[in-house]
Amino acid sequence: MAKNQMFALVVDDSQTQCKVLTVLLEEEGYQVIVANDGATGVERYIKHQPDLVLMDINMPVMNGFDAARKIKQLSGEGNLAPLIFITSMDSDEAFINSVDAGGDGILVRPFSPPVFKAKIKSIQRISNLYQQVKNLQQEQQSDAELAEKMMSEVIEARNFALDKVSVIKKAATIFSGDIQLTALCPNGDVNVLLGDFTGHGLRSSIGAIPVAETFRAMTKKGFSILEIVAQLNKQLHNLLPSDLFFAACFACISEHEKSAYIFNAGMPDGYIISTTGQIKYRLPSNHPPLGILKTLLPDAQLSIYDTSDDDRLVFISDGIIEARNEQGQLFGVERFEKAATAGAAQNAIVNNVNNSLQDFCHNMPQEDDISLVDIPCTGWQSSAQTSKVVIPQSINNDDMYDDANPSWSWSMELTGASLKTVNPIPLVMNQVNEIEGAGEHWHNLYTILTELFVNALDHGVLGLSSSLKDSAQGFSQYFNERTKRLESLTTGFVSIALRYYPFDRGGKMVVVIRDSGTGFEILDVIRDNSVAVESGASLSGRGIELVNQLCDTLEYQNAGATVTASYVWHLPS
Amino acid sequence: MTVSTNVIDEGRQLVISIKERFDFSLHQEFRDAYSHYDKPDTTYILDLSQTDYMDSSALGMILLLKDHVEMNAGQLIISKPSETVNKILEIAQFHRLITIE
Repeated sequence: MAKNQMFALVVDDSQTQCKVLTVLLEEEGYQVIVANDGATGVERYIKHQPDLVLMDINMPVMNGFDAARKIKQLSGEGNLAPLIFITSMDSDEAFINSVDAGGDGILVRPFSPPVFKAKIKSIQRISNLYQQVKNLQQEQQSDAELAEKMMSEVIEARNFALDKVSVIKKAATIFSGDIQLTALCPNGDVNVLLGDFTGHGLRSSIGAIPVAETFRAMTKKGFSILEIVAQLNKQLHNLLPSDLFFAACFACISEHEKSAYIFNAGMPDGYIISTTGQIKYRLPSNHPPLGILKTLLPDAQLSIYDTSDDDRLVFISDGIIEARNEQGQLFGVERFEKAATAGAAQNAIVNNVNNSLQDFCHNMPQEDDISLVDIPCTGWQSSAQTSKVVIPQSINNDDMYDDANPSWSWSMELTGASLKTVNPIPLVMNQVNEIEGAGEHWHNLYTILTELFVNALDHGVLGLSSSLKDSAQGFSQYFNERTKRLESLTTGFVSIALRYYPFDRGGKMVVVIRDSGTGFEILDVIRDNSVAVESGASLSGRGIELVNQLCDTLEYQNAGATVTASYVWHLPS
Repeated sequence: MTVSTNVIDEGRQLVISIKERFDFSLHQEFRDAYSHYDKPDTTYILDLSQTDYMDSSALGMILLLKDHVEMNAGQLIISKPSETVNKILEIAQFHRLITIE
């Protein structure tokens, strides 16, 4: 379009006709190339790539229809190369044949110069439109490619532990409506998300950026999976139109608790698979996809599954089970489970599923985005510890500090109803990060705060007995009772106070947590726990044991209603 | 017609039936089936007994229908979903949002 000089090709065996047409075209600003038979016409077309072709029908060597067919074939689908037949045959047949041969118009002799020029203009207009559409299409394609590059770099390259997580990700169009995220929690747990926006393409991945940002930021600050799910739901409900939503499954893999916390909102069953290839658990959907309801359903909660060494957690999107073969059959759950469990035994779930899927579908075009995430339930702690600081057995003499004069102190108190709705730990960690900056050593502090706060709330304020948790059955009973008591809570308090003492290379944080409970026989509990934990029999008490290991000192006062933990860390020199 | 409508019980019930595939290609047709209908207190029955396949954009279309029904103070019932369709409704946990019979 922006070309300065337009070229026209005139193909006619009559020299006179060629001259007449050349003059008229030159008046319209074209530079004219002439050929006197169809074959030469095709040659010249290839050589000069003209913007317009005028074609006689009856010519020696190759007639106009054949030449037109060749030219249209050469120019392909992406190019219009407008072609007008010029003939003295004023018959229906000539008209129909010329359109069949690929002509874009026909002019019947005799015609006046103004009619000829008008015809040229109208053809040129169509050709311009065609070019415009083509340019737009190219622009859109390159935009989509750029966006795709950004998305995968911004979103998925920032995932945690890419080396440990195996994935399958195949988009139906350039853009995938599926999103896979992993992030490390402050206490060393790993949060995982596999989600699927309705439909596919750019339209459906527009929500991926806010989802990734929220998921990462909240994980980093130590919010629980359920809090993250609730926030994402709210955000997507505001953001998306009613017919767009986000099906997603979430997991928090806790290696030290040997459990996985799962929330599945509208995705196919997830799996926990043992290395021997047994499906230990199917993780079914128990909530509508996110973004549909204003808030989560009132009974929304995480499902807890115990995991053992070398178990794998597998999430999939519906694209896998709904993939079709040439006969129109679905790949289906059965084939998937067979491939996945066989793969688990060879430590190659992704490969096995991929091969099985390819064998099944052959060369059928892919209708929907296909995603799979395969994550180990163990092996996280060692990776986290390589970057963690070492906790010394005792404090060095060089680290002299004044117990009476902390560098800063900070406290908060939650009472009654606010205990139901506020999780104070992210708030506390936020304060610490704001004053002292971020650092690996806060991971341990996070664990200490979480465990002690939960103890104060559960055993102190709510008066729950941890012995309930001794059996797997009691575990859910415990959580139900906890929810019930929390719901009707109106009095009571938990206060959290921090005192910070900097060292030359490191520091000490003293945490004091008080609750309104009557306390408990703390010594008995700790003794029972350490026996039980050592024998591996107890499901409860791991928390205190862990805190005990992380802290320099851990003391209970007021019969257990007040706890003082002091956490010391040394930065490597 | 893949989407057919039927008004029964003196206009108190609007039955929308979908045959074969319920997917994005029915977007306009499906919307046309109910958008002009604004009589309050109507029971909208979405008959999926003859639907063999439904994708996630169909779920989105059902949510749009639900918006319309709620705006007109009506009631929405999904009727007799086939086994395949029910599986999809179940994964999306739609029975928590809409009555399915």
